[in-house]
Amino acid sequence: MNWLHWYLLVALLLFCIGLYGLLQRRSLIAMLISLELMLAAVSLNVVAITSLSGNSSSVGQVVALILIGVAAAEGAIALSLFVAIQREVQSINVEDLSELKG
Amino acid sequence: MTGATLAALVAQFAPLAACAVVLLALRGRPRAAAATAVAGMAASFAASAWLVAVVAVPGRTLLAQAVFLPVDAAHNLAFGVLLDPLSTTMALVVSGVTLAVMAYSTGYMAGDPGYPRYYGFLALFGWAMQGLVLSANLLQTLAFWELVGLASFLLIGFWFDRPAPAAAARKAFIMTRVGDVGFLLGVLLLIRTLGLATIPDVIAASAPGGALAPRTVAIAAALLLMGVIGKSAQGPLFTWLPDAMEGPTPVSALLHSATMVAAGVYLVARLHPLFAAAPAVMHALLWLALVTALATATMAMVASDIKRVLAYSTISQLAYMLMGLAAGSAAAGYFHLVTHAGFKALLFLSAGIFIHHAHSNDMREISARRPWSQRAGVIGLVAGSAALAGVIPFAGYFSKEAILGALGAGASPLVVALAYLGAGLTAYYAFRMVFLTLGRREHTDAQTYGGTDAQGHSQTAGDRAMGVTVLVLAGLTLVLGYLGPWLAARLVPAEAGHGPFEFGWGALAALTLVAAGIGLAWYEFGRRGAAGIGFLERLPAVARFCGDNWYVDRLYRATVIRWAAALARAAHWNDRTIVDGTTDGVASGTVGGGRLLALVQSGNVQAYLTIAVLLLAALAYALGRVAVTP
Repeated sequence: MNWLHWYLLVALLLFCIGLYGLLQRRSLIAMLISLELMLAAVSLNVVAITSLSGNSSSVGQVVALILIGVAAAEGAIALSLFVAIQREVQSINVEDLSELKG
Repeated sequence: MTGATLAALVAQFAPLAACAVVLLALRGRPRAAAATAVAGMAASFAASAWLVAVVAVPGRTLLAQAVFLPVDAAHNLAFGVLLDPLSTTMALVVSGVTLAVMAYSTGYMAGDPGYPRYYGFLALFGWAMQGLVLSANLLQTLAFWELVGLASFLLIGFWFDRPAPAAAARKAFIMTRVGDVGFLLGVLLLIRTLGLATIPDVIAASAPGGALAPRTVAIAAALLLMGVIGKSAQGPLFTWLPDAMEGPTPVSALLHSATMVAAGVYLVARLHPLFAAAPAVMHALLWLALVTALATATMAMVASDIKRVLAYSTISQLAYMLMGLAAGSAAAGYFHLVTHAGFKALLFLSAGIFIHHAHSNDMREISARRPWSQRAGVIGLVAGSAALAGVIPFAGYFSKEAILGALGAGASPLVVALAYLGAGLTAYYAFRMVFLTLGRREHTDAQTYGGTDAQGHSQTAGDRAMGVTVLVLAGLTLVLGYLGPWLAARLVPAEAGHGPFEFGWGALAALTLVAAGIGLAWYEFGRRGAAGIGFLERLPAVARFCGDNWYVDRLYRATVIRWAAALARAAHWNDRTIVDGTTDGVASGTVGGGRLLALVQSGNVQAYLTIAVLLLAALAYALGRVAVTP
């Protein structure tokens, strides 16, 4: 059991917590936070695998930085959408947002 | 384009133009509509008269045809005119009678709300019949044949808001359609064999040694005859004509004299060599016409409606024409068609005067309402009946004599004897009608017939138009008879010299029978103190049988109509249950399936997410197994 496995286990734990939060919480903001957790798990995986697998490439760190940037952009867009939804229906509870129900 | 062709086009299209103008532009202006229609028909009449003067020369035939739609090398659709003595004289008769009916109708139909429409339809009828008469090939004939049927449908059902005329119009249309199926098949057969079935080509091809085999000629003749039987109300398909009396009386005059029913006889005369080349068919036609003539004569002997008497007499006289044609004499049959057009139009128009005056079709009711005050009607009715009966100076005598002569030359003695008997019966029912309608002279002067309206409007311009028309036609019945030899010389130059137009024992026998018929009618209806009941009417069963079209209509109702109704009900059930059921099932299945599937859509994002994650996990698991196993 080397270091890499510990990193991967932590990342798995983070991912599962994020997934659980995403599926369980009813607030859009909480769901967004859970999504960020899952993204962080992925970033952690990438960085850990590239730096601990032996070759000294910095590709993993670049990818992780891009992921952080993407996550920030996604958060901005999502939050602005949530504000718009709040204005429209006075709620950001996903159970109230079921207009596509058949 | 020669002058003759131009005149033929005017003869055809002037009524069509009048019809279009009347129906499209003059619906609200009765006087202008009548004037336009009369002008169109008068132009047609003038053109026809010019054609008769120029073209009706023995042995002259003009054919002008233009291809309208080429189909392939051998077949194409062409329209044109065929001008020879037969078609031009017929065109003159058609336009003349139509013109007379139009002039008469200015009085008869005055005040009717549908007056402009009536004139539009009359012009349409004139165009259809002129087109049929002058058409150059059989396909064109077929088209106009159907147009004639359409026009008579529209005019019989002119008062379509009443149930009886509407039903009569439908009956006329459907019954003639039964025969038209045969006509269509016959035309198609000839077109298949001959390409463009131009009438002279058909006649040439049907001659012995021509392009058509004798069997084909016989089949084609039989099929064409089906159309003739329907159109000319012969044999089993005659019952539409008595019902067609529901139309306005001038329409009956037109329908019965020169158009519609005459179309069938004209076609046989037109294609006479074709029919003559099929002796078996002609023999069958002879017997069919003979039976029709006698049967309808008995029906005319018991009818109490003056128009029905005339309708039955028309069928009977048409049967005589067909007998003349079937016996091999085109000239005799056609001659009777011409004279009949004159005197039958006269009879109907005179009857119309009485009906207009008495507001009833029943002869006994007419006789109770001062019929003698209608001088023109009395003259017309007596002259027309004399012509119908075949009294010597009138037109009917000469043409019927020609037919009986042709029969005597070619048919078996039994046929000849029955035909003479029919001539006697004709005289009987014609004068039964006269005596019944005009009989009660001694009562009427004493009788105070209610109100003054009969006299009040008896001298309007409309009544004068009716009276003048009738008097002109009455004069014609005295003249038309002498046209026989002239016509025969032009139609069949070889036939002119001998036979039909001579005076001999046959004529004497016929005149004796006619006198006997008139005498019997006088004894039963005319003399002072007569019983007023005919010898057929004394037997109630016979009277019912004859008064009800020999139960032919009942037979149809019990068989064909019932079967057709059953078939229609079955088709209706099939349509409702199977065809509609399938469509409805598909529709409701789709809707139901959609409802069921819509339950899957919860509208909850997290439910979708859960499914997506589970599916991804399943996919990853499957891919992992695939990656591991090899």
